[in-house]
Amino acid sequence: MLEAGQMAPDIGLAQTTAEPRLLVFLETDCPTCWLSVSYLNKLAKQAASVVGISQDSEELTRRFVEQAPIEFPVEVDHELRISCAYDPVAVPAFFLIGADGRVIRSHIGFDKDELNAIAAEMGRQPVADSYDGAPQSKPGCSSRHLEPATEDASAEALTLHAARGTRASRVTISEDAYEYSMRAFGDALPVVPPTVERVERMMGALDPTEIIGRIPPCYGEATVEKIAANAVMAGCVPAMMRVLIPLVRAVCDERFNAHGVQATTHFAAPLIIVNGPVRNELGFAYRKNVFSNIARANSSLGRALQLMLLNLGGGRPDGIDMSALGNPGKFSYCIAENEEENPWEPLHVELGFKPSDSTVTLFAGEAPHGVSEHMSRTAKGVLKAISRALATVWSYRTCMSVEALVVLCPEHVKTIHRDGFSKNDAREFLFQNTGIPVREYDEEGEGKAHVHLYRQITIGGELCYQKFRAPESIKIVVAGGTAGKFSAVIGSWSAGPRGSQMVTYPC
Amino acid sequence: MLTTTSTTLVNPCDERALSATAAPRLPTLAGKTVALLDISKAGGSVFFDRLERILVEKYAAARVVRAMKPTFAKPAPEAMLEQLRSVDAMIEALAD
Repeated sequence: MLEAGQMAPDIGLAQTTAEPRLLVFLETDCPTCWLSVSYLNKLAKQAASVVGISQDSEELTRRFVEQAPIEFPVEVDHELRISCAYDPVAVPAFFLIGADGRVIRSHIGFDKDELNAIAAEMGRQPVADSYDGAPQSKPGCSSRHLEPATEDASAEALTLHAARGTRASRVTISEDAYEYSMRAFGDALPVVPPTVERVERMMGALDPTEIIGRIPPCYGEATVEKIAANAVMAGCVPAMMRVLIPLVRAVCDERFNAHGVQATTHFAAPLIIVNGPVRNELGFAYRKNVFSNIARANSSLGRALQLMLLNLGGGRPDGIDMSALGNPGKFSYCIAENEEENPWEPLHVELGFKPSDSTVTLFAGEAPHGVSEHMSRTAKGVLKAISRALATVWSYRTCMSVEALVVLCPEHVKTIHRDGFSKNDAREFLFQNTGIPVREYDEEGEGKAHVHLYRQITIGGELCYQKFRAPESIKIVVAGGTAGKFSAVIGSWSAGPRGSQMVTYPC
Repeated sequence: MLTTTSTTLVNPCDERALSATAAPRLPTLAGKTVALLDISKAGGSVFFDRLERILVEKYAAARVVRAMKPTFAKPAPEAMLEQLRSVDAMIEALAD
């Protein structure tokens, strides 16, 4: 494979130009190539010289260009002669060729940092945003010129990364629209009929066919129009589209793993946590009754997500969603953080956003488990009560594999803060004081098989297995009304890169 | 009774026609290579050990290839499926 500093071969497209030129080798059935296209389009739109080199036939290439759609010139590499000359080991392969005909940089596979570095090298604006729902990097497929020759036909080209979809179909009915919509598009609760007028109002000036994401597990296309139709059914106001679009990106983020969250037999449901000025701008509730039926914004946003997960993602409770007991949050599960009563930095600021940014966070969680603690007057007393609830997350004797969200009520956080605890101090205290006594592991059952992986610690003189892998496994937010010493603990689904990771998107 | 005038709605659902065709069935397992893909739940090996013996002893499978997904919470990695492409049949299963 050609490396930086080598001369580009004198073949086909390598003639010198005044500006650097980016050659990208692509295969029409490679999902990573499809993923790369929209970023390359952004580069081409800035008048950068981008040339695609397709390793497939004229016909497959024509369909690829049309469906993606590709907005830069693409040449078909007949007999793979150009590929043999550049010799990329995988596709997509990027070769940035300087005006002098030398390779400035070469790279294989999708990587947002590399794409931005290429853009910078070409004197253009960055093309890859960290929060667009696509992974940071993704390996590609082996280059066609290295594949063994075969008589087999290629598989049908995938269309998993096209940037534009089609308009939604119209359904004309003569029966009561309310009854029809509930039966055809709803879950077990009534929905607002998604009439053409309402959906148009919801979309405003947005492009109806833009695909924001493909929702697992069935990967239905969430176009702006489909999102708007589900938002109408859930009772959202049009201004909610600014939250719904990043929310769809977040739920499609591979780290969140909606594929697993939506299909598991566990209790998990995506909990939405809203932070920043958007809370007050759109009327999100964050004081009393924050988990329940207090505000249209919370209820309708949570419900819109659930309807999209069913209608576009295909995770239906009578089908692919296999949850043994389910979760009441599958009707709607959305809170906002009470930043006003939070003496510490709110969740989004802790994650690196500015206080003036607004964000949506998704956490795959169980239902809230209450921690009533009225007697403690100290930080340690309140936190110890919470640690005992944390010990029961997933199952009392299971350690290391799960996370938890602690929702501190204003009264509790006030007590903790008054004793001089920072948010990190509180988290560290919970981490060091949540464990399960070793003496509890005297018989078979959940957790017993993995004790060799657990860490032993001493809590209050008692030898315990430490509940969590790291302090970061405990997420903390403040929410709820100012009266009442009631906090909550929410257990996660399978956590970490092998399960579901919490994701936060700006909105 | 509500009046029933005609209304036009925007279809909020996934409109792709999802269909899958079952792979051709093998007339016999005798002499075939069978892959057992364990989704990696706790009891999988017990179940698959038994299944492997049955495939070899009762159905005369020539070879049983064992593979385990890195996590049951996500689809199998492409590279793993690619490696298993040459087998005659595959059984994906779990035991919990």
